[in-house]
Amino acid sequence: MKKLFYTLILLLLSIAPLWGAEGKIEVFPTAPYARYIIYESLAIFWLFILSLVVIIKLKLREIARTQKLGINREDAPIPQLE
Amino acid sequence: MNFRRLKNWFTDRYDFSDLVKLAQSKTVPVHSGDFLYYTGGMILFLIGLQFITGMILAFYYVPHPDFAHKSIVEIVTKLHLGWFFRSFHHWGAQLTLLFLFIHLFGTLLVKSYRKPREFIWFTGFILLGILIFFGLSGYLLLWDERALAGVKVATGGVKALPLVGTFLMAFLRGGVDVTGETLTRFYAFHVAVLPLVTLLLIGLHALLVQYHGLSVPRREEKNNPASIPFFPNAFYHDLIVWLLLLGVTVTLAVFFPPEIGIKADPLAPTPENIKPEWYFLFVFQTLKLFPGEILGLNGEVMAILLIVTAMGLLFLLPLFDKKSSRGEASPLFTWISVGYIAYIVTMTIIGYLS
Repeated sequence: MKKLFYTLILLLLSIAPLWGAEGKIEVFPTAPYARYIIYESLAIFWLFILSLVVIIKLKLREIARTQKLGINREDAPIPQLE
Repeated sequence: MNFRRLKNWFTDRYDFSDLVKLAQSKTVPVHSGDFLYYTGGMILFLIGLQFITGMILAFYYVPHPDFAHKSIVEIVTKLHLGWFFRSFHHWGAQLTLLFLFIHLFGTLLVKSYRKPREFIWFTGFILLGILIFFGLSGYLLLWDERALAGVKVATGGVKALPLVGTFLMAFLRGGVDVTGETLTRFYAFHVAVLPLVTLLLIGLHALLVQYHGLSVPRREEKNNPASIPFFPNAFYHDLIVWLLLLGVTVTLAVFFPPEIGIKADPLAPTPENIKPEWYFLFVFQTLKLFPGEILGLNGEVMAILLIVTAMGLLFLLPLFDKKSSRGEASPLFTWISVGYIAYIVTMTIIGYLS
């Protein structure tokens, strides 16, 4: 019992300075609602990015198709009759 | 006013047709190492984002030793989305340096530095040094004990350079030690001097790339590789890469916001187990390999001299690699490049894990 008592006292003494230590600075919102909004916004943001990537890919495919057909090139100016 | 009318308003006053023709006539070669072209664009995009987020942070940051730490805590805890912009700026810097190293290593391996592109290599290499200093100066602005100790180690190493070491260290620190003077000085470097130098160097680098055209690996040069028009093909590819990069940076900023330590105290002893930022780890680890004294000479001085010499030789590599300039294979320089890359990567990993 005595040993346990001394151990507890020593334990309290060793961790006592921790109460005086500066708290960890929160670098991310702690409120669950704020966190939920952030994660939801991130998911929407990724959806937006991936949608744009798909649109650009489709656009690129269309460009490649027109380039293959050669219809992207401008015609030479028509010679004018004197 | 709709878009067409706005466009007409401009074209009535300015002739953009030459610029459009230039963009359409410019081509990007398609080859096995063309991912390097995209890493260059990614760095440019990230630097642009760094400028924007940096400007936003500068509205609220106070570059004074008594208020710097407090202002960052307030940006993160009180300002709406302040935590996000700070985290984004941090991850933007990390990714810029990561892609810079990838761009440099790739350039080294495909030997894009060979004649006539030596100056592209030189400007890129200086840009790497400038951006590393950008990272270091930004790191101190946090003004916490880790940043203070990290900058003490980094600027202390400069002192070991012969002749100019003491002057250079005093110039960087604004005195003998890292104090509030250093913070003011690093702030000036970070928001005024370095952005200007970076813009000039990027301009010169891009101009040289335009002048010489994009390089093709030596082996594939003879096969006359196919190329795609810069506009719209390569530009749209760039856009896809940039969008994905933006998503990755935002995700990293959300899930891994950087910590803020205890406020720096220049008079307090350096805390134990302090490590510099990851891009300095290979230098830090090399310094640790050297004993205190070698043949009566200071070990740290020897290590710094060795690192400076090695970096100097890497900078001047295009001038030594004559075979590549003649279009011949130069396996010796391939192995030298592999050696450099392996050393930097291994030492960074060891430094990170130890």
